[in-house]
Amino acid sequence: MSLIEVKNVSYAYNENKKVIDDVSFNIEQGTYVTIIGHNGSGKSTMAKLIVGLLPVKEGEITVDGITVNEENIGKIRTKMGIVFQNPDNQFIGSTVKDDIAFGLENKQVESKDMEAIVEEYAEKVGLTSFLEYEPQNLSGGQKQRVAIAGILAMRPDIIIFDEATSMLDPKGKKEIKKLMYDLSQDKDITIISITHDIEEVLQSDDCIVLNKGRLFMHEKPDKVFANAEKLREIDLDVPFIEKVREAFRKNKIKLKADDLEGMVKELCRSGSKH
Amino acid sequence: MPIRFKALSYIYNKDMPYAHKALDDINLEIREGIVTAIIGETGSGKSTLVEHLNALLLPSEGSLEILDYNLIANQKQKFLKPLRKDVGLVFQFSEYQLFEETILKDVAFGPLNFGFPLEEALKRAAEALKMVDIPEELFSVSPLEISGGQKRRVAIAGIIACDPKIIVLDEPTAGLDPRGAKQIIDLFISLNRKLKKTIIIVSHDNEMVYNYCDETVVLSKGKIRYHGPTLELFADQEKLKEFNMLEPQIVTFRNLLIENGFKVSNEARTLDMLAKEIAGQIRK
Repeated sequence: MSLIEVKNVSYAYNENKKVIDDVSFNIEQGTYVTIIGHNGSGKSTMAKLIVGLLPVKEGEITVDGITVNEENIGKIRTKMGIVFQNPDNQFIGSTVKDDIAFGLENKQVESKDMEAIVEEYAEKVGLTSFLEYEPQNLSGGQKQRVAIAGILAMRPDIIIFDEATSMLDPKGKKEIKKLMYDLSQDKDITIISITHDIEEVLQSDDCIVLNKGRLFMHEKPDKVFANAEKLREIDLDVPFIEKVREAFRKNKIKLKADDLEGMVKELCRSGSKH
Repeated sequence: MPIRFKALSYIYNKDMPYAHKALDDINLEIREGIVTAIIGETGSGKSTLVEHLNALLLPSEGSLEILDYNLIANQKQKFLKPLRKDVGLVFQFSEYQLFEETILKDVAFGPLNFGFPLEEALKRAAEALKMVDIPEELFSVSPLEISGGQKRRVAIAGIIACDPKIIVLDEPTAGLDPRGAKQIIDLFISLNRKLKKTIIIVSHDNEMVYNYCDETVVLSKGKIRYHGPTLELFADQEKLKEFNMLEPQIVTFRNLLIENGFKVSNEARTLDMLAKEIAGQIRK
């Protein structure tokens, strides 16, 4: 049994137009899965269905063997945390410390234990020296880290990042992607990231590509990017490294390396042969 | 005539306990007819700066000369309406501001507001929509029923329909997929090249800035840290470090090529051009 199983799911906001159309896939425990697709591909809808923000009317989704429906939603939510797009819309506490503690208070964790837990997760996201700060005085990346610490403190099995880096500046993006990668090394946590950031896909284990509500591909990242043309046809971009490969291929030069340094070495070698 | 910021400061909540100087003694000349990027970290004052350009904000200190207008701190302004017609500002996530029943009406709202008769306003709206690649069959559709990228282009059409001389775009490609982003970039490039509009873009996308913007202004904590040719900025690793900027990957690649003995010209700002130059050297 996979941790998350999506079976023949369809969804329509209004009757005549399916935004999700007969999609099936499985997500294994401990993996880091990115979901990509153009605007309107159905990726956000898919995420909402998995977390039960939208009702599954056609097909079935199970999380850890439990069917996602109105009756079970409470049980399923305890297993999940969601980091949203806008870092400003997810604060409750007046300080970083209070904010991380909020979920724990809800869970009725005893106050004597609380401090240690808050500190543990603040450290995990690198915010130890910011505990007394007001969240609105933090940068976008720091705000998202507060949100992530609050979620980690609840010890979820699954963390869903819903375009969590798209409103951040380049430094904030880099910061959060690094944190996501670090979290993915913990095999008790399964990460699902709905993302526009094609470079992020390179650091994930698997990638689900949606197009017009249908499953287009479910592969390892290198397989996904092996066919740039196919991706462009469905309005998706490829990572920079693949663009370099493509640009040189057009000039009849084949590059095999997976990083820029390697490619420049290859270019030097073919230069000295001539 | 260039746009001139002269010792301009802007203070939010002036004379209040939470007063905050968002722009601090800005002296800046933005050239007419080119594409200028304004970059800097979140909170550096980028949006505050551009909101002065059509007098959404007025200087707390100093002045701003733009076209034939002169905005001086603490003086009553009389010509805000013509200024706002001449300087179009496209906000961040501008698609949230669409509100009319149909796309055509939404785009016509600006020209109507600036006093054009209905027929002329609708004509301008239709032309602007054509320019942003919105097909005619969508004109009578509600702006809420189209995709995110299309909404953004409709919002930009609303500005183009007023025929401004200067167009300011605050993060125009944020949150769009690559094709949507590319369409917006192509659009402002053609507005600049074909219609000679002065374009000012606030952006976090350094790669886009490197590829397409003639000059770049770097803001940090309300002050100008750099203003000059975009190429010179990105060629200077010391500066990038000093401004806490990530180097675009194309610059990293370009530098690696140069370090390894390849020759790269200043014109090679896109991957296609780089690859062509390098391939030429390998075959020699």
